[in-house]
Amino acid sequence: MTCIETRDLFSALADDALTPEERAALDAHLADCAECRRELATFARTVKMVRAMDPAHAPAGFVDRVLAAAEPVPWSRRVARRVFRPWPTVPLSAAALLVIGGLAVLLFRALPEQQRLARQQYQAEYQPQPAPQQPPARPAGPVRPAAPTASREGARGTEPAPAAKSAPPTEPAQSTDEARVTEQARPTETASRATPAPPAARDALSDSTRTDKSESRTAAEPSRLRAQTPAPTAKRAEPSSPPTTEAPAPPAGTADTQRAAPPGTAQEPGTTARAFERDEAKDDAKRAANVRREAAAITTVPSQAPPQIAPLSRTGPMTGTRAAPPDVTAELRTADVRAAERSLIALAARVGGRQTGRRIDGGRVVVELAVPSDAYAEFVRRAAALGPVAIDKQAIERSVLAIAVTISD
Amino acid sequence: MREGLGGDPPGLLVRLRAGDPRAFEELVIAYQHRVFGVALRMLGSRAEAEEIAQEVFLRAHRALAEFRGEARLATWLYAIVSRLCLNRLASPDRRVARGDAALADVAASTPDAAAQAERAELDAALHAAIAELPDERRLVLVLRDLEGLSYEQIAETLALDPGTVRSRLHRARMQLKEKLERFA
Repeated sequence: MTCIETRDLFSALADDALTPEERAALDAHLADCAECRRELATFARTVKMVRAMDPAHAPAGFVDRVLAAAEPVPWSRRVARRVFRPWPTVPLSAAALLVIGGLAVLLFRALPEQQRLARQQYQAEYQPQPAPQQPPARPAGPVRPAAPTASREGARGTEPAPAAKSAPPTEPAQSTDEARVTEQARPTETASRATPAPPAARDALSDSTRTDKSESRTAAEPSRLRAQTPAPTAKRAEPSSPPTTEAPAPPAGTADTQRAAPPGTAQEPGTTARAFERDEAKDDAKRAANVRREAAAITTVPSQAPPQIAPLSRTGPMTGTRAAPPDVTAELRTADVRAAERSLIALAARVGGRQTGRRIDGGRVVVELAVPSDAYAEFVRRAAALGPVAIDKQAIERSVLAIAVTISD
Repeated sequence: MREGLGGDPPGLLVRLRAGDPRAFEELVIAYQHRVFGVALRMLGSRAEAEEIAQEVFLRAHRALAEFRGEARLATWLYAIVSRLCLNRLASPDRRVARGDAALADVAASTPDAAAQAERAELDAALHAAIAELPDERRLVLVLRDLEGLSYEQIAETLALDPGTVRSRLHRARMQLKEKLERFA
C-alpha cells in the first residue's frame, strides 16, 4: 500500500468505518512509514478540533416564533395575501417616498407662481395706474391671475381644450423647465402661451366668480381646491381624447408642455411682461393687440369681483413655500372665527381694500388682505370692534399694505 | 459534536398526523437546535439561519399529512434544511458574508475568560476553514462531525451513495487539515 492509498483511509479510520482488510493494510503501512504516522496524527487532531466545536443553539423564542407562524391563517388573510402577493416585494417606504416626492414637486412648481400672483394682484391693482402710453407690461399684472384660474375652471368644467389652443404646435417635446428656460429666447412663443384664456375660459371664470358671490367663504375654498386639483388629470387625458385643438395632435411631450405652460408663463410676472414688450418691439401688432384687448377684458373681472374671490393662499407651513412677509401682522381674537373672517373681508372691501388670500397656520385661520395705507387706520379701528386685536408687526410705508390677520377663538 | 440520532420520540409521528398542535410544538422543541445548527454552519449568519430553520419547520408542518414515516422525522428535517441551505447558497442574490456571525456564536459560549482568546483564535480559524469548503463537502462534514449523523444517515438525508459520503467527507477533512496545520 502506498502513502497516498494509506492517507485516503484516514477519514474512514477516524469514523471507525474501515473494513478489517483495510485496517490491516493501513496498520502494516503505518508501522513502516513515520511520515504517514505524523500525517495521521495531524489529521486526527484536526477531526478532534472540529468535533469539539460547541453545537449551535437556536435563539431564544425560536419555538414561539415557529408556532406563531404555523398557526392557521384565516381565509380572509389568505385571500388578501394572494391578491397582494406582488406588492410585499416592493419596498413600501420607497413607494411612499416616490409619491411624496412627486407631490412635493407638483406643489413646488405651482406655489411660487401662486405667491407672486397674489402679490402682483393687489399691488398692480392699488399702485398708481400706469399712463395709457406706458408699455403694456402693467396691464399684464392683473391679467395673470385670471388666466390660470380660467384655465383651471375650464379643466374642471367642460372646457379642457382652450389651453391647448394657445399652445404652439411647433414644439414637439419640451419639458416644463425647458420651456421656462427658453421663454426669453422665444418671446413670441411665450407670449402666445401667456395669452389670456379664450372667451370660453373667461366665461367659465365669470361664471365661477358669479357663483362665488353667492357662496359663503368657506364653501368657496373647496371649490377652488377642486378647480386646481383636477386640472392635470383632465389635461393628461387630452392626448387620448379626440383632437379638439385646432393645431395638429401634439406628440406626448407637447401635452406636458401645454399642461405646465399656462400657470408657469401666465404667472411669471417679469417674464411675461418682457415677453409682451418684445411682442411690441417685434411689431407683432396683431398679436399684441389681441393680448391687450383680452387683457383689458379680463382686467375688469377682479374689479367686479367681490373680495371673496381672492385666490387661496398657497403659502404657509404646509406648502413649504415662504410667503413674502406681510407689512402688518395682527391677531384677532373672537368667539366666532368664521363670522370674524367674513367681517374682516367685508371691512377690507369697505375701506377700499380686498382679500388676497387665506391659509391655515397651526390650525388657525389667517386672512391675507390688501388695504390702502391711507385707510389703514380706519381698518384697524373697525377691526377692533370685532374683538381684541393685537398687532405684532407694523410697517406702513407702502401705499398698499399687505395685512395678515390670524383669527383665533 | 452532538450525540448521534436516536429514534423519534414515541408516538410523536402519530400525534403529528392526527393534527395534535402540542405534538408539533414537541417536534420543534426536540429538533430546533439541530436544524438551526446545520443552517448556521452552512450559512454563517444567525439571522439567515433562523429564517431557514423556521422555514424548515413550517414546511414540515404543511407536509406532515404527506409524511409516510419511512424515514425518521430527524432525517426528514435534516433533508429539508440541507436542501434549503444549498438552494440559498446557490441563489445569486445572496450577499451575506459567510462565517462572520457564526464566529460570535461560538466564541460567546466559551465559559473560561482566560482561554477565550486562544479559543477564539482557533474558532476563527476553524470557521474560516469550514466556510471555505465547497458547499456539498461542508454539508457532509457538518452532518457528520457536528451533528453526529452516521454515513448511512447522511446518505439517506442527502440521497447519496454512502461511498460518495465517505469520499466527500475525506476530502473535506483533508482540506481542513491543511488549513489548520498550525493548530493541530
